[in-house]
Amino acid sequence: METLISNKLLQFVADLGPSKLQVPQSLHAAAQAYLLGQDFPTTKAERFKYTRLAKLANAQLSAAHQLDAAQLEQHCILTDAYTIYVNNDQITIPQNLPVGLEINLNTQVSGTFHEASFYDIFGALNILHAQNGVSIALAKNCTLDKPIQIVQANSGGKYFYRHHFNFGANSEATVYFVSKQQEQTTSFSHTHFQYEIAQDARIKIFKLQDTAQNHFDFNEDRAQQAAKSHFEINTLTLDGSFVRNDTMVAVQGEHAQTYLNGAYWLKEEQHVANYTTIDHQVANCESFETYKGVAGDKATAVFNGKVFVRKDAQKTNAYQSNANVLLSENASVNSKPELEIYADDVKCSHGSTTGQLDENALFYLRARGLSAASAKTLLLQAFMEDVLTYVKHEEVLAYVQQRIAERFNWSY
Amino acid sequence: MIKIENLHASINGKEILKGLDLEVKAGEVHAIMGPNGAGKSTLASVLAGREDYEITAGSVTFLGKDLLELATEDRAREGLFLAFQYPVEIPGVSNVNFLRTALNEKRAYHGQDPISAKDFMALVREKSALVELDAKLASRAVNEGFSGGEKKRNEIFQMAMLEPKLAVLDETDSGLDIDALRIVSQGVNALKSPENACVVITHYQRLLDYIVPDVVHVLYDGKIVKSGPKELALELEERGYDWIKDSL
Repeated sequence: METLISNKLLQFVADLGPSKLQVPQSLHAAAQAYLLGQDFPTTKAERFKYTRLAKLANAQLSAAHQLDAAQLEQHCILTDAYTIYVNNDQITIPQNLPVGLEINLNTQVSGTFHEASFYDIFGALNILHAQNGVSIALAKNCTLDKPIQIVQANSGGKYFYRHHFNFGANSEATVYFVSKQQEQTTSFSHTHFQYEIAQDARIKIFKLQDTAQNHFDFNEDRAQQAAKSHFEINTLTLDGSFVRNDTMVAVQGEHAQTYLNGAYWLKEEQHVANYTTIDHQVANCESFETYKGVAGDKATAVFNGKVFVRKDAQKTNAYQSNANVLLSENASVNSKPELEIYADDVKCSHGSTTGQLDENALFYLRARGLSAASAKTLLLQAFMEDVLTYVKHEEVLAYVQQRIAERFNWSY
Repeated sequence: MIKIENLHASINGKEILKGLDLEVKAGEVHAIMGPNGAGKSTLASVLAGREDYEITAGSVTFLGKDLLELATEDRAREGLFLAFQYPVEIPGVSNVNFLRTALNEKRAYHGQDPISAKDFMALVREKSALVELDAKLASRAVNEGFSGGEKKRNEIFQMAMLEPKLAVLDETDSGLDIDALRIVSQGVNALKSPENACVVITHYQRLLDYIVPDVVHVLYDGKIVKSGPKELALELEERGYDWIKDSL
């Protein structure tokens, strides 16, 4: 790592070995070139304007320790799923998979489509230092009878993971990615997800982020969609002191539909940042993006959503919105919706709102006998309701509601 | 039931109520009429506990308690109900869900057990029929996408569900066509009993053809300046308010 000159970055990578996955030479060189002369980004860097990395640079991560099977199972949310456990160096892959579904350890860093789009040093570090990950392939015309569940249990240490999904033509699947934290551990994880969605495939991804106060949770999602595919990615941040999601979808086939939804419930000193990019490269596609959140205490939320509509992407219909409710004077939301349109026959809209609960509605409910607390809860639940309507799985919905009830004292 | 004495209230430093006196006994219906800006809606808001208003003098005793000392929700739980002039639309909050919470918090306040789901739904059916409110509307989000008439019927439906001791109807007739007016009035009349009372705030005599008051008050410049039998409303309708202003 002689190309790195910064002390902070050097310190951060000092205890990391080279990637255990095979890295194509060109990609390795590109990542190294990108890192050349870089330091930990400061708040002067656009994509880290609201994220202070000093905390990470100074963090004392606890030593990685392997969890046993019973401990891992406790982090499970779905009882009936093809469940994969990811815990530091160890990955457990389920047996008896149905025909058409293959799950293997990921052996190769693939970078076919996103080489030019590193957004930050962590993406580059992932290429150079990925420790492990899974590779999931679903054959064409295959509809999974039950969802895939990936449980990532963080239990100390510093880990770069890399998961690769290949969904064949006309396949259908739902994937739940559960990110949890083992008690009394401090850790860092950067997880790269790559989704290749072939023609007519119908894929739903749910990310259930429920890490604790002492985990640094970085996520980088890269998807490419072929014609007539339906891709949905829902990111629900239930807890976690430091969470960054960087999601990018490249829409490369006509008549594709993309749904990007996010929800976050923040309090204390949580910091949750969502960066999204939808890149409409071809004509006749639709995308719908809704991110919603509440922020209390001293929490900070960041939303930066970009929609590109390229020159050839005529008849694109792109809708984006971000709405936030602030629960305290010290909470803050930095919201930046961006549209870049190079085609002339498109329908695009975006909007961002950040405000407090409607005083008139609060008064109305109290005038009917609801306590101020119940009235507030009811209004907040109503505010977040539409993001939760995407969660159809009963166990998952129950889990989400239970966690919110626990953390915020909301009754469901 | 309620006794208001020398009530002074102001908003943003501007005095609106300037020494208002009013007493309403159980079983009575009182109408409060008056020109625009007299303080009619301010009176309703102050009674319900809207915090924008500052009470600078006077007292309000409701069922033996100092009403002004109670939080908005406790006033409601004690049996005060305000039918809003402009009912608020609350997207995402279901009408019946919030009413069940309201009803159960009121019951808890009085040391009673929560109502069972079955009894509650029976109550919803019974009371929504009273104001001819479609059961589907009853379970939709509070006032969202309701017509003006539906919003007002929903107010009376909520009133029927909560069975208040004292109902204050703030210009419930505004924006109502004649059929809606009849339905709303029927609902109010059906809820009338010797144990409860009603204060009807209105601009027009029209509503009082349906809800017949025992006493009519004229509110002018923050005070009750004249009180009389129901015929006073007819006289106001015919002669306007100028003769009252002139006689002051």
